[in-house]
Amino acid sequence: MSVPHERPGDPGRRGPIRAPQSLGGGIFLVFLAILALWLNRNLDQGTLNAMGPAMLPDWLAVGVGACGVALLAFAFTKQGDELDHWSLRGPFFVVLGILAFAVTIRPFELGALTIPGLGLVIAGPLAIIIGGFATPEMRLRELIILALCLTPFCMVLFGDLLNLPIPIFPQALRDLFPADWSQKDILRAMAAAMVVGAIVVYALGPKKRTQQVDRVVQPDEGIDG
Amino acid sequence: MGDFASNLSLGFGVALSLQNLGLAFLGCLVGSLIGVLPGVGPIATIAMLLPITFGLDPIGALIMLAGIYYGAQYGGSTTAILVNIPGEATSVVTALDGHQMARQGRAGIALGIAAIGSFFAGTVATLVIAALGAPLTGLALIFGPTEYFSLMTMGLVFAVVLARGSILKAIAMILVGVLLSTVGTDLETGEERMTFGLPFLVDGIDFAVLAMGVFGIAEILRNLDHTETRDVVRQAIGRLLPNRDDFRHSYKPVLRGTFIGAALGILPGNGAVLGPFAAYTLEKKLAKDPRRFGQGAIEGVAGPESANNAGAQTSFIPLLTLGIPPNAVMALMVGAMTIHGIVPGPQVMTRNPDLFWGMIASMWIGNLMLLVINLPLVGMWVRLLKVPYRLMFPAILMFCCIGIYSINSLPTDVMFIAFFGLVGYMLIKFGFEPAPMLLGFVLGKLMEENLRRALILSRGDMMTFIEHPISAVLLAIAAILLIVALLPSIRKGRDEVFTE
Amino acid sequence: MKKIALALAAVAGIAATGAQAQQNYPNRPITMIVPFAAGGPTDVVARIVTDHMSRTLGQQIVIENVAGAGGTTGITRAAQSQPDGYTIMMGHMGTHGAAPALYPNLKYDPTKDFAPIGMAAGTPILIVAKKDLPASDLKGFIEYVKTNADKVNQAHAGVGSVSHTTGVLFDSIVGTKPTMVAYRGTGPALNDLMAGTVDFMTDQIVNVAPQIQGGNIKAYAIATPERSPALPNVPTTKEAGLGDYQVSAWNAVFAPKGTPNDVVAKLNDALVKALADENTKKRLLDLGGVIPSAEEQSPEGLQKLVDSEVARWTPVLQAAGAKAE
Repeated sequence: MSVPHERPGDPGRRGPIRAPQSLGGGIFLVFLAILALWLNRNLDQGTLNAMGPAMLPDWLAVGVGACGVALLAFAFTKQGDELDHWSLRGPFFVVLGILAFAVTIRPFELGALTIPGLGLVIAGPLAIIIGGFATPEMRLRELIILALCLTPFCMVLFGDLLNLPIPIFPQALRDLFPADWSQKDILRAMAAAMVVGAIVVYALGPKKRTQQVDRVVQPDEGIDG
Repeated sequence: MGDFASNLSLGFGVALSLQNLGLAFLGCLVGSLIGVLPGVGPIATIAMLLPITFGLDPIGALIMLAGIYYGAQYGGSTTAILVNIPGEATSVVTALDGHQMARQGRAGIALGIAAIGSFFAGTVATLVIAALGAPLTGLALIFGPTEYFSLMTMGLVFAVVLARGSILKAIAMILVGVLLSTVGTDLETGEERMTFGLPFLVDGIDFAVLAMGVFGIAEILRNLDHTETRDVVRQAIGRLLPNRDDFRHSYKPVLRGTFIGAALGILPGNGAVLGPFAAYTLEKKLAKDPRRFGQGAIEGVAGPESANNAGAQTSFIPLLTLGIPPNAVMALMVGAMTIHGIVPGPQVMTRNPDLFWGMIASMWIGNLMLLVINLPLVGMWVRLLKVPYRLMFPAILMFCCIGIYSINSLPTDVMFIAFFGLVGYMLIKFGFEPAPMLLGFVLGKLMEENLRRALILSRGDMMTFIEHPISAVLLAIAAILLIVALLPSIRKGRDEVFTE
Repeated sequence: MKKIALALAAVAGIAATGAQAQQNYPNRPITMIVPFAAGGPTDVVARIVTDHMSRTLGQQIVIENVAGAGGTTGITRAAQSQPDGYTIMMGHMGTHGAAPALYPNLKYDPTKDFAPIGMAAGTPILIVAKKDLPASDLKGFIEYVKTNADKVNQAHAGVGSVSHTTGVLFDSIVGTKPTMVAYRGTGPALNDLMAGTVDFMTDQIVNVAPQIQGGNIKAYAIATPERSPALPNVPTTKEAGLGDYQVSAWNAVFAPKGTPNDVVAKLNDALVKALADENTKKRLLDLGGVIPSAEEQSPEGLQKLVDSEVARWTPVLQAAGAKAE
C-alpha cells in the first residue's frame, strides 16, 4: 500500500488546511452524496410498509455526506497526510488503451462516429501498445513483439479452442482468403502470421538489443529515463 | 452410519472409473488455466467451458463441471494473489494479504497454503455434505428475509473490522459500496435509479467490472506512480512452498475457516459470500498483532481461502437437496444439469443415487486434483512475476479487456473498467481502501432486498427484526462486534481513528 | 495511419460481402444471441435446439449470451445487426410480448422489426402455493385470496420476469390485489414459498415441477389446454374453472428484419427438423416443455403469436403499472 512518506524537513503546513488528503476525500464524498440525492430527486421515498425506490439510497447518501463533512472538519483540525502526487501519463494511456479495445472489438456507433467491428486481431494490439505508453520505460519494439505474441495466443485460446463468440477479425478480411477456407482456418492463418511477424520484428532489431543489454548492465540507474 | 459408508462407496465406485477420473482432472486443469486469466471469474469460466461438456454422459459432464468450478475458483485466487485482481467477491479478501505476500517474494507460500488449506476444507466439507446434507436442508428454510437482513448487517460490520486505516473512511467506503449496489432497476417497482438514463446501467453495476476497476486497473495506475514498488517481485523469490513454520501459523486458521465457510455455505441466500470475510475478521481479532494483517499475514490467506472452498462446496447442499441454486454459479450448474436432462430437486438423491453420490465423491477427487495440479504450477506462476512490469501491465490490461468482454459481450463493460479504474485511483490518493467498498457492494444488494421484503411481509413493522430469534441474535452479534471494533480506537483517542 | 486505412478497407468490405452472402448460405458460423445469462431456461432451450440445427445447416451455431434489462439489451443488439442470416436470436414471451408495455424506451417493435423463423418451445405456467395453505382446489384458492386480500403475499422473480407478468395476469383475471413480494430470480422465491414465508406464485413448469413432485409446494392448476405428462395430477385451468387463464412462456427464433426469404426458409427448415428429431424432442419434454404445433413452428404462425401477445400484455401490464406507483 502507499506508504505515507515521513518528510522530516516538512516545515509544517501553512494555511488552515492541515490534512489535504482528508480535504480531498471529504469533498469527494460530499459530491457523491449530493449527486445521489439529486439523481433520486424524482423517485418515491415510500413508507416503511412499502419502501419506495429512493428510501434506502437517500439514507445512504445522507450517511456518505455525513462522513464527508466529518472528514472535512478533520481536515482543518487534525494534522494528516499530504496528497500524493498525481500523474497524468499513466491514467491517460491506460484509459485510452482500454477505450481503444472497447470501441474496436465490435461495431461501435456514437453519434456521427462509426467504427466497424475490427475484432480481437486489432483491438488486442491496440490495448497493449497504447496502454504500454503509460510508463516512460516503454520500448515500442518490445510492445509490438508482445502484442504480436499475446494476441494470437488469445485468438487461438478463446476463438479456436474455447469457441467463444468474441469477434476475431473484420468480416471484410474474409475476402482476402480462399472461399473454401473456414472461419477457423483464417483465424489460425492470421495467428501464425502474427507470430511470424513477432519473430521478424525481434530479428530485425539486433542493434537495439545491444543497447538494451548496455542498459541492463547499469543496474537500477535511470529507471525513470 | 452404515448408510453413510455404503453411500460413499457407491459414490467412489462411480467417480473412480478411469473416464470420470480423467474428466475430473481435465476439468480442474482447464478450469485453473482459464480461471487464472485476470477478470475471468468462476461464472465466466463455467459459462465458457459449458459447451465442451455437451458430448459427455450426464455424470461425466457434471463431474467435469464440478472440476471446472473448483479449478476456476482456485485460478481466481491465484490471480488475486499474483496481480491483485479478485475474480469474484470471495477472493477480495485473499487479495488483501495474499498480494502483499507476493510483493514480499512469498507468492509461492501464499499459493501453496491456499491450495493446501482449500484441500483440507474441501475434504471436510465433502464429508459434511455426505453425512449431513439431507438433514441440513431444513436450515435453509429457517432463514427468511428477516434473518438474511440481519446476517448481511453483521457482514457489513465485518467490513469495518476488515479495514486497516481510519474507521471513519472505512465506514464511508462501505456506505458508498451499498449506495453503488442500489444503482439500476429497483427490484420491487421496476423504476430506474441513478442510471443517468444510460441503458447499460439499467441492470446495475456488474461486480466483475467494479472489482476489476477499483482493484486491477487502479492497482496498475498506482504501480505506475511508484517506481520503487513497481515490479511485483523485485527481491529474490524465496521458498516456493510453505515450510513447517508456515504450517504452524496456518493450521488453526484453516480449521476455523473451514468451519465458518462450511456453515455459511449451507444457507441458500448466498451466505457463502460472507465466509472469507468472517474468517478474516476472526483471524484478525484473534491475532496477537492485528497490524500484520494487510501486510502479508499468512493467516489472512489460510483462513479465508479455506472458508472460501468449504463454502463453495457446501453451497451444493441447497442445490442438490432442495434444487435451489444459492448463487449465480450454482444457477449456472442448474442450467448445466438441465441441459444434460437432470432437473435438480429433492428427488435427485433418490432417483439418481449414482449421480448424487458420484458427484459428492468427485468433489473430493476434484479437490485432490487441484492440489496435484497446482502445487507443481506454483513455480510457473511465480516465475511469471519476474516479467518486467513495463511488459506485464499491458498484458494484464488486455486480458482484463478480453475477460470482461467475454462475460456479457458488452463494450460498455470494458469502458466501465477504465472508469472505475480512475475512481479507484482517486480513492487511493484520498487514502480510502477499496475492499470495504466492494464488500458493501456485494452485501448491499442482498441487504436492501431482504430489508424491503421483510418489511413488506411484516407490513412495515420494524420489530420483526427483534421478534425473529435468529435475526435478534445476529443483530446482537453485529452490535457487539461493532463496539469491539470501535473501542480500541475510541480509547486511544481520535488520532488513531483518523490516521493509520 | 495504416490502421485508419485498414478500417476504411473494412467498411468498404462489409458493403461488398452483403450482396454475395446468401448464395451459399451458410458458409461460416452463425451467431445466436440469447438475451439471458448462460444456464437459464431460455439458454437451455437455445442450446438444445441449435445443437440439432447446426447439423442440418452444416455450420456451427454459436450462442452469444447478451443479458440485460429483461432480455431487451440482447434483442436490441440482434435487431440492429446485419440481416444476413448470420445473426439470429432466441426471443421469448417477455422480449417479444411484454417488453413494449414494460420498457417505454424500447428501441424495437416486436411486431415489425423482425423476420420470424419459428417457435422453439413452450413452457406451461402453473399456479403454485405453499403446502399448508387451507384451500384444496383452485376455486377454494381464489376464494381464499379474495377474502384475505390484505394478508396474502404473492412472490415473483422481479418486475418483467415470467412469474411477474403471468402473476399480474392472474390477479387481473381473478380481480384481486395481493401484496407483491419481489425476489431476484425464481430460486429464492421458491425457497420462501417452501418455507411458507410467502403464499403463492405463478411460474414455469421447469422451475416448480421438482418441488411439486417432492411435496414441498402444491399446485392448483396448469394454464394450458391439456395436462402435462410430467404432472398428470394437476388439473388444467379450464378444468378447475378459470379457463380465461391460458398462458405459456414461449421461446422462438427470430432474425432481424430484412433477412432474405431463402435464408429464413433455410433456418426454418433446420428448426422444424430439429423439433422433429426424437432426441431433441425428448430433451425438451424432459424439461416440461411443449413442442410447438406445425403452425406455430412456421414464420407466419410466429408472427401471429407475437401480434396477439403484444396485444394481450400491453393493457394488463399498463393497468398493473398504474397500480405499482
